[in-house]
Amino acid sequence: MSLYAARKRSNRIAMGLCTVAAVFGIVWLVLILAVLVWEGVSGLSWRVFTEITPSMGSTTGGLLNAIVGSLMMVFFAVLIGTPLGLLAGTYMAEYGRYEKLTHVVRFINDILLSAPSIVIGLFIYEILVAPFGGFSGWAGSAALAVIVIPVVVRTTEDMLLLVPGQLREAAAALGLPRSVIIKQVAYKAALAGIVTGILLAVARISGETAPLLFTALSNNFFSTSMTQPIASLPVVIYNFTKTPDENMQQLAWTGALLITFAVLVMSIIARALSTRMKK
Amino acid sequence: MPEHIVTSFDAELELLRSKIAEMGGVAEKMLDDSTRALVRRDSALARQVIEADSRLDNLQREVEENAVATIARRQPVAVDLRDIVSAIRVAGDVERIGDLAKNTSKRVLAISSEAHPAKIVVGVQHMSDLVQAQLKDVLDAYAERNEQKALDVWSRDDRIDALYNSVFRELLTYMMEDTRNITYCTHLLFLAKNIERIGDHTTNIAETIYYVTTGEAVAGERPKGDTTSFTTTGEI
Amino acid sequence: MSTGTNRQPASPAIPAGPLTEKVSVRNLKFYYGNNLALKSIDLPLYDRIVTAFIGPSGCGKSTLLRVLNRMYDLYPGQHAEGEVLIDGRNVLGPDQDVNALRAKVGMVFQKPTPFPMSIYDNIAFGVRLYEKLGKSEMDERVESSLRRAALWNEVKDKLNASGQSLSGGQQQRLCIARTVAVKPEVILFDEPCSALDPISTSKVEELIDELRADYTIAIVTHNMQQAARVSQFTAFMYLGELVEFAETAKIFTAPSDKRTQDYITGRFG
Repeated sequence: MSLYAARKRSNRIAMGLCTVAAVFGIVWLVLILAVLVWEGVSGLSWRVFTEITPSMGSTTGGLLNAIVGSLMMVFFAVLIGTPLGLLAGTYMAEYGRYEKLTHVVRFINDILLSAPSIVIGLFIYEILVAPFGGFSGWAGSAALAVIVIPVVVRTTEDMLLLVPGQLREAAAALGLPRSVIIKQVAYKAALAGIVTGILLAVARISGETAPLLFTALSNNFFSTSMTQPIASLPVVIYNFTKTPDENMQQLAWTGALLITFAVLVMSIIARALSTRMKK
Repeated sequence: MPEHIVTSFDAELELLRSKIAEMGGVAEKMLDDSTRALVRRDSALARQVIEADSRLDNLQREVEENAVATIARRQPVAVDLRDIVSAIRVAGDVERIGDLAKNTSKRVLAISSEAHPAKIVVGVQHMSDLVQAQLKDVLDAYAERNEQKALDVWSRDDRIDALYNSVFRELLTYMMEDTRNITYCTHLLFLAKNIERIGDHTTNIAETIYYVTTGEAVAGERPKGDTTSFTTTGEI
Repeated sequence: MSTGTNRQPASPAIPAGPLTEKVSVRNLKFYYGNNLALKSIDLPLYDRIVTAFIGPSGCGKSTLLRVLNRMYDLYPGQHAEGEVLIDGRNVLGPDQDVNALRAKVGMVFQKPTPFPMSIYDNIAFGVRLYEKLGKSEMDERVESSLRRAALWNEVKDKLNASGQSLSGGQQQRLCIARTVAVKPEVILFDEPCSALDPISTSKVEELIDELRADYTIAIVTHNMQQAARVSQFTAFMYLGELVEFAETAKIFTAPSDKRTQDYITGRFG
């Protein structure tokens, strides 16, 4: 009986420690969100979406150029990165599942997945910005695409591996060639998971600052030219928080709130899709 | 034979075997007692035989119930299925043997008051001895699952048939000699027929044993010696 | 191996007349890497007959089934030696079109595997690849396949619903309909009822019995009673060997090999 009591006591202690740790983590998260909302909401107004970034000392201005720049760069990054990631992931899970190359690619991909984003920014600076003489939207998109690729590769491979082998065998048993099995059966079964992966990649790059600093730089004026430096929300936030100008600081908070909200929405959609996938 | 993975299955089969062994013992004693009652004109013993039959009926019912339950629960196949089917069949044969011994005892009661020379029953008594030996052997063969022993019983039943033929003729002769013998002899005739039929049941059991162990029916016709169906008084 | 070619105790389930050998397995050996999984199997599958494969796990019965439609080709390191003749033609040869073979030798799996698409498309999917059918012809094919699988009445009002929305037993019958739709000649069942409840199991068994009129059928099952119920011939395999092949009625009343007897009566240690 005393043994049982001792077990109960140690169980209670462990439970207590776990609860404390969980609360500790959540408290900071809640605090961050609370401060963000507190500071950001007051700056929310139509001008944020309709006016471009102000100059020092101005009392007007918004984030239009930064929002459009971010959207464009993220869009092109996904457009470049997703097909590459999808194809690589498909090779790894379907055609080359038992090949050595797959293990090599998976290892390198995992390294890329955890590579510091500033390194990626520098890499793109070296191969796209320096030799072609200028910062540009394309360079920014390329840097973001390099972040997107390993995420998509990983989720595509994982999701295709989750598709039961029996489903593939059942399709093969009907005499279907491999390409048809992959396109019509495996992709369909893995669709929700792959879309989730892409959404998570979008969420990840929409908050990236470091790779854009050396590639897209920023632009105080409205521009949709991908060959020119282009503004983006993270970089604008970074720049504005360094200024003493209160209006700019307020816009930085609001921009941060916008990004957080967008990421949150995407995460929720991704989560909803992945629960549907598991069913 | 190795044991089943499910040991309770073995226990169920063992229970069937022991019940059949018990039935065999009861039937053997009934046959023995009914013959002795005839020879000694012992009405009390004859009544005992008649009473014993209900025990045999009960045992047979139990064997059937247990066998059916085992089939339902275990879905036996191959040797197990044959084993259980054989239990039902053997129990049926043994139960019939009991009925025949009981009928014999009833006839013993019917003729116990009539005085007749003892030599008339000698033939019947001799038949009964042979059948008893055969019954004992076939029950042993069943317990041992020994198809050779069973085939031996199966092929030697014609001796009983032959003996029955001679008893039949002998009794007919007595009846023709003196019509006052007719009642007594007719009963003895049925009695002898009962014993002959018990012999037939032992051969049934022998065939069942062969089926249990080999999975096949006994090949060929059994040698049969009962020709009384064609016997007429003209031949005597 | 003892072969029960003696047709003396002819069971009523076997049609009169001589049996034709649709599939002949000749001296078949199968390797997982260097591991010999099938040790020289010789066996016929008769036309319009259900042949059941029984044996303890790992005896090679599923492996044998997967050789017949070359499912093993999907995986590296597995290979077969010997011959599998279908209508006299060796299908293990390198010149055999594997996809054509699989269209001819259909397979139904242990777990129901409806494709992530509608009930209609689950069936039309395989057909489209091999035949160019018009809308009405395709509708007809889908209906007849579903009827063949005794599923039509249950799904005719929801052909556009997802195949995965059906119950387990219905899913399995959908898989059978899908297999039948591409007009195979041989159907392989790999433990088709092991994930189903008893009623669904009975329906699938009834279906197999009906399909026997038109196809050569092989079924792997762990359920010996099922083998006894649905098949006319039974093969007992043990440790990669074919121990006994005979009429089902004989295997289950008087098997000739002691290992068969011990296995089917539950005496394996």
